[in-house]
Amino acid sequence: MLAKQNNDLDDGLFYSIEYTSPKFYWVMFALFVVIGFAAYSYLMQIIIGLGVTGLAQPVSWGFYIINFVFFIGISHAGTLISAILRLSKAEWRRPITRMAEVITAIVLAIGGLHPIIDLGQPGRMWNLVTSGRLQSPLLWDVTSISAYFAASTVYLYLPLIPDIAILRDRGTKPQWLYEFLSWGWHGTPKQHHILERAINILMVMVIPIAVSVHTVISYIFAMTIQPGWHSTIFGPYFVVGAIFSGIAALLIMMIVLRKVYHLENYLKEIHFNYLSILLLIMSLLWFYFTFSEYLTTYYGNEPDEMRVFLYKFTGGFAPYFWAMFACNFLVPVTILANKKTRRIKGILIASISVVIGMWLERLIIVVPSLANPRLEYPTGIYIPSLTEWSVFIGAIAVFILGFVLFAKFFPLISVWEIKEGREKSISEVAHRLQSYLPDNHDELEIEQALK
Amino acid sequence: MQSKLVRTLQFVSIALIWIFVISLDVWIVSLLFVAKKLNDSINASVGIGIIAIPLFLTIAAILTYVFLGLRKYSGETESSDSAGGRGTK
Repeated sequence: MLAKQNNDLDDGLFYSIEYTSPKFYWVMFALFVVIGFAAYSYLMQIIIGLGVTGLAQPVSWGFYIINFVFFIGISHAGTLISAILRLSKAEWRRPITRMAEVITAIVLAIGGLHPIIDLGQPGRMWNLVTSGRLQSPLLWDVTSISAYFAASTVYLYLPLIPDIAILRDRGTKPQWLYEFLSWGWHGTPKQHHILERAINILMVMVIPIAVSVHTVISYIFAMTIQPGWHSTIFGPYFVVGAIFSGIAALLIMMIVLRKVYHLENYLKEIHFNYLSILLLIMSLLWFYFTFSEYLTTYYGNEPDEMRVFLYKFTGGFAPYFWAMFACNFLVPVTILANKKTRRIKGILIASISVVIGMWLERLIIVVPSLANPRLEYPTGIYIPSLTEWSVFIGAIAVFILGFVLFAKFFPLISVWEIKEGREKSISEVAHRLQSYLPDNHDELEIEQALK
Repeated sequence: MQSKLVRTLQFVSIALIWIFVISLDVWIVSLLFVAKKLNDSINASVGIGIIAIPLFLTIAAILTYVFLGLRKYSGETESSDSAGGRGTK
């Protein structure tokens, strides 16, 4: 009876799956137009070659590598945050985890493809299979991103199984798909035990994998002796930046999806408040790492390093550098440190600012170091071409398309976890409180107080 | 009929997961041999291999454990209150 009532309460979460509005087709059409143009641009790049891009010597890495680092960074939104919240038994995680995990799976797929786009001819990937060098940081990337993608997809899928079974039992089409993906789930205690055990193992596994991914991406740069890249703190600096941009992306998606799918009852002010405080902390941490990184360069005063340093601070890249500083530090700290502005609108502005700022940071890391190499070259110039812009916009469209399609087939909020929260959270929290409060409080008393 | 087909597809998917993971591991091992043949920092390659090979195997093992476990106990419906719900004993 209770279960039936709870399912009715969450009926709204299935609305977008079971009913298709004309808006859905318009959105799909618009996305396919953008993606089609990006695909055409990429096809032209394959036919003509990398000459259609703005890449040239000495700046041989541009938008594709910037976006690769950026998208993989965003992927830290999901599985890492979700795993940490689950592991710490944060009750408020329940409506957030699914969205976070979806972001990870989609952006990892998009980000992972960018190095292939950067190769020019995708057939060159075959060289990796036949004669890859496992000791190269480039191959560490391939390995760790593949592992993270596999673990994240599994980590998204396993907690989805009970919800897929609900869709199967509701007779939602395509029936065969839900039957196939639900693996005969009927919510028996043994099935729950198996699923929970697997999720527990995965959430412990996924945290070090996620940290390793961005550390290894930083190694692509840090393992070279290129000025501006050869830094011992690049690993943690990249991880901090990735989590920072990940939280911002998650907040943007939560705000947008809350509006589009009318999830106000699930995603409440408190969720945004907690996550935005985390964003504020990450902003301060990002500033600390950035300050440490540049102070050591400045103090060392090594000529080649200083060339890159000055190029960023006062030279050609100064507008981007200071815009990054404003977007990643000034704007979010000003908005989020003040309780009055830490409302949904303010959080949205701060999050968009951080995402833009983190993209600029990737730009500032990749281009200036290549434009100012150690050799006696004149400063390199990089202007991204229309092809690169269209592939970038196409990648964003693929991200939105991924989300729209996911929402068309699966609930964006974990229905069974919400239900479990309603049934068990209060007693679990009461039990936890009783175990760590200094006085001997009665568990029932705490439970009553919580209710 | 559809149930039987779905069940067959499910077992095929488990087989495909293992084929994929074993192929990945074979590829990593083959790169170790390439590194050894070329005398090209074999220690670093072994280090990566030691981490990567068990990782992919573990992910495949977890999936197999869940899939087979869920299938095995899927008939035990008498104690559950709904598909998504936690069963009560």
